[in-house]
Amino acid sequence: MEKKHGPAKGNSYGMVIDLDKCTGCGTCMVACAAENNLAVRPDESDKQRSITWMRLYKVTNGKDFPYTEVSYFPRPCMHCDHHTPCVSVCPATATETDPHTGIVSQIYTRCIGCRYCMAACPYHARTFNWWDGYFPKGKGIERYLSPEVSPRMRGVVEKCTFCHHRLMRAKTQAYTEDRRELEEGEYITACTEACPAQAITFGDLKNPEHKVSRLAKSPYAFRLLERLGTEPKVYYLSTKDWVRKLGDNYLPGEFKPVSTVKAG
Amino acid sequence: MELNRRNFISLMVGGVAGMHITPLPWKLTDDIAIWTQNWPWVPVPPAGAFNSAKSVCTLCPGGCGIEVRKVDGRAVKIEGRTDFPVNPGGICPVGMGGLQLLYNEDIRFTRPMKRVGPRGAGQFADISWKEAVGILSERIGGLRKKGAGEAIAAIDGNSARSATALLVERLLKAVGSPNYLRAPSLDDTYSLANLMMLGTDGPMAYDLENSDFILSFGAGLIEGWGAPGRMINAWSIWRDQETRGKVKVVQVEARASNTASKADQWVAVMPGTEGALALAMAHVIIKEGLYNKEFVGGYTSGFNEWSSFVIRQYSPEQAAAVTSCPAEEIRSLARAFAKSKAPVALCGRGKGTLNGSLYESMCIQSLNALTGGINRIGGVLVQDHLPLASLPDITYDEVSRQGVQKARLDHAGTPKFPYAQSVASLFAKEVREAADSRIDTLLVFGSNPVQTLPDGGLFRKALSKIPFIVSFSSFRDDTSMYADLVLPDHTYLEKMDEVVWPAGLQYPLYSLTRPVVKPLYETKNCGDTIIELARAIGGSVAASFPWKGFEDVVKHRAKGLFDSAKGLTGYKADSPVWKMMQKAEEITPDYKSFDDLWNKLSKGGFWYRPVHNYGRWDSIFKTATGKFEFVSTRLQLAIQGYLRQNQADSALSGLGIGAGAQVAAYPHYEETNAQVDTKVYPITLVPYEMINLASGSVASPPHLNKTIFDNQLLKEDSFAEINPKTASQLGIKEGDPVFIESAAGRIRVRVSIFEGAMPGCVFVPLGFGRIGWDEFTRGKGANPNDIILPRMDPVSGQPVWWKTPVKITKA
Repeated sequence: MEKKHGPAKGNSYGMVIDLDKCTGCGTCMVACAAENNLAVRPDESDKQRSITWMRLYKVTNGKDFPYTEVSYFPRPCMHCDHHTPCVSVCPATATETDPHTGIVSQIYTRCIGCRYCMAACPYHARTFNWWDGYFPKGKGIERYLSPEVSPRMRGVVEKCTFCHHRLMRAKTQAYTEDRRELEEGEYITACTEACPAQAITFGDLKNPEHKVSRLAKSPYAFRLLERLGTEPKVYYLSTKDWVRKLGDNYLPGEFKPVSTVKAG
Repeated sequence: MELNRRNFISLMVGGVAGMHITPLPWKLTDDIAIWTQNWPWVPVPPAGAFNSAKSVCTLCPGGCGIEVRKVDGRAVKIEGRTDFPVNPGGICPVGMGGLQLLYNEDIRFTRPMKRVGPRGAGQFADISWKEAVGILSERIGGLRKKGAGEAIAAIDGNSARSATALLVERLLKAVGSPNYLRAPSLDDTYSLANLMMLGTDGPMAYDLENSDFILSFGAGLIEGWGAPGRMINAWSIWRDQETRGKVKVVQVEARASNTASKADQWVAVMPGTEGALALAMAHVIIKEGLYNKEFVGGYTSGFNEWSSFVIRQYSPEQAAAVTSCPAEEIRSLARAFAKSKAPVALCGRGKGTLNGSLYESMCIQSLNALTGGINRIGGVLVQDHLPLASLPDITYDEVSRQGVQKARLDHAGTPKFPYAQSVASLFAKEVREAADSRIDTLLVFGSNPVQTLPDGGLFRKALSKIPFIVSFSSFRDDTSMYADLVLPDHTYLEKMDEVVWPAGLQYPLYSLTRPVVKPLYETKNCGDTIIELARAIGGSVAASFPWKGFEDVVKHRAKGLFDSAKGLTGYKADSPVWKMMQKAEEITPDYKSFDDLWNKLSKGGFWYRPVHNYGRWDSIFKTATGKFEFVSTRLQLAIQGYLRQNQADSALSGLGIGAGAQVAAYPHYEETNAQVDTKVYPITLVPYEMINLASGSVASPPHLNKTIFDNQLLKEDSFAEINPKTASQLGIKEGDPVFIESAAGRIRVRVSIFEGAMPGCVFVPLGFGRIGWDEFTRGKGANPNDIILPRMDPVSGQPVWWKTPVKITKA
């Protein structure tokens, strides 16, 4: 299936995550939280309330001991290209798909906290701030906050922005050097940079020179809930059928094992 | 106007219509939304000039390179460093969250303090440095006056052979105490195993990146073992499209850990029987003649003796009964291992935060010897310690000269534990059981024994018998809650410190951390505190510490590198060290003088030597026979010594050895089961480690709490993993609260049903159940260390913590 991303002009930033390389260490989640000023509450075990942009899901093949295997799905925002569900429903125009980059933004000051986008998102990629970010006075934990990302107030939805501020940083650098195009690797997300297994590759899906666009065409590539037709810009690679099968819902006999995918 | 029906309806309709037309309610709603969003307080991070500082992470012994992004003087993000030989750009989640350990006043000691509340309550009052050093120096001086230097003890968690560790040990000797203890770690087991078989206690150097068959006996290769940045990167290379299928990774473990799941093959064995599996593999390799005849014939001693023992007692069928691993699987594994070009077998449990078993390590090392993997490309390299300059001799006075010769409280170095350096759990037992207080003052350096020692809470209980406890911790950790006096250290981001040979690395590397931010509080580098303390004690103690400050000590040591070896201080990611080492050419140093070297080192720099003499087997073994010893001369001597002293013929039960005197010097399998009724305690408790949960002395940064699943921690309850079959036998379901009870005590956890857990076992993570720290950490989950029966590993004396008989009851 030929996949096309974004409009004719501009870039279409996307990500390929190699699940065979991913060790499930969680560094992507921590790097994301540190980069994007995510607040931590004393109890993070309530996963309905815990705020994450990049979240790790643990899956098992369900087989009995000693044939059990575990694997992980790191899940950022998918930055859907087509009929982006959250963008379609937002009544406040607080989230938009940027036609020049393909990045789905989230504008906190416009967000009215209705959480319609959260209901619409098929990937649970959005979380709601029930409280102001937890930075109690006296602890001094706000000292590690980065000025590049504004901390969120209560009553707004937040999600992964593909580290949009890093794109701004890279563009500023390029413009000062009188360039209009970014080199590959000049703009990467914090999780991509942090992954000690180099399982995450980030770049322009529309640029055939970029590694992501090559990897996205791999016979091992697949996307989550692909058949919803939202054209996510996050691809996964796995050689394991049981992992691939968890990426979507299949009728009995519908799933094609990777050997047939490879042949076809 | 009269209010009739008509008018009333008009009014209502008009009102509803008007409400929709007027902007007022919408404006008000919007205003309220904005107002509540901005109230009471959302921090606005101050802007400034971006800059960065390079350093090294010392949160674990891996020593990965880090680059700290800063805004003016404020650190805002830690990132991996690409110009560092250990980790090409990646670090682990704990290191990534490090700033939360720096910037959190509630978990830090901001200045010297003394206890004001009851012990364990964590109530302290500020005092000055002068007063704090005065209190301690007077106490130590007073004990020395009484000639009771040995009543001072220290437990130290700083990396072995680092400058800080040497200063602590030196302080103890200088004041006249033999009781210098170290928190047990896998490095102790590695050193001891190497001493027995190679004759040198040098670091265990696994050349993993050059290997094509990695057989790991329990080491959490992608879960924090060694340097996590290095290991996960190596794993990624093994999973590359180009190399896929060329390198095989096999994990031996009782649980489907991440490493076991992501490996090419998972071999499930009963916890603690890894040694028996290794011997059965040796059996197959020897019997089928698959061993390296050149190495075994020319450079080993005791092969005939040991091999006939292995042939006799460890057939795959015999081992299958012990390990529960099918005999056929053992056979095919042994063949695949021996037929590979560059196989390596490595041992360890989880991250290596805690010790392993000596005999087990020796069994596994034997596999490397059989395949000629000792000092061969992709095998285990024989390395000496770093050529750092040694410190000048200690000045003794009468008190200290007599004091250091007194018996250690933990019996390390006695015929019972002839080669042990220190046995912390035995020390705790002695202190706890003695009628009088044998230890007056305990100094705690860079360690957190209350949380990390797998001794059923013995150490914590022993603290009540020690009148005065001094903590040198940066953090309000679990042990410092019991302290009477605190002399706080800087955090690793505020000080200069050494990393001497990162854990598990195959080549010599030395690196220095540096202050990436100015110290936030009135804390002091622990090395400087020791020097200042020695000066305050005065006399020969002061004379033993002639340095102005800690930096002088480090500089003095680094001179040794310059004087005695050629190394490099620069690194480019496109030529990894493991590739450079294959060339075996002498290198030209990239520094001209010592000042040049020091200048580079002191800026968060490093020194490494990417040269190794592969394949050399003559004169590298420092054993009595000059060869690799399958039958250890040192062990033979120890056993003879023990038997002589105890007038016994062959019984070695006092050493914890079940096998006879003949076998005791061989790499062999020891059951080391706890002496409890397995009918009462039918389940085996196996603690395990997770890479995203800090299990050492320092707790996880709070960001990591987001990565913990809700079937690992829910509110205050941590979870134990149990196989569905075992759970149904016990009649327990997912999420049920249960008590896990051993002869040493019980903990309350919830149950997580996991097919990947070996039936008959219960797996509990290490790192929860902390009593210090702040609301992000304190009181979350249970610590399995609290119920581990302190059972001794033979010869090394360290605790056998990986299997404890327990029973499970519904809570």
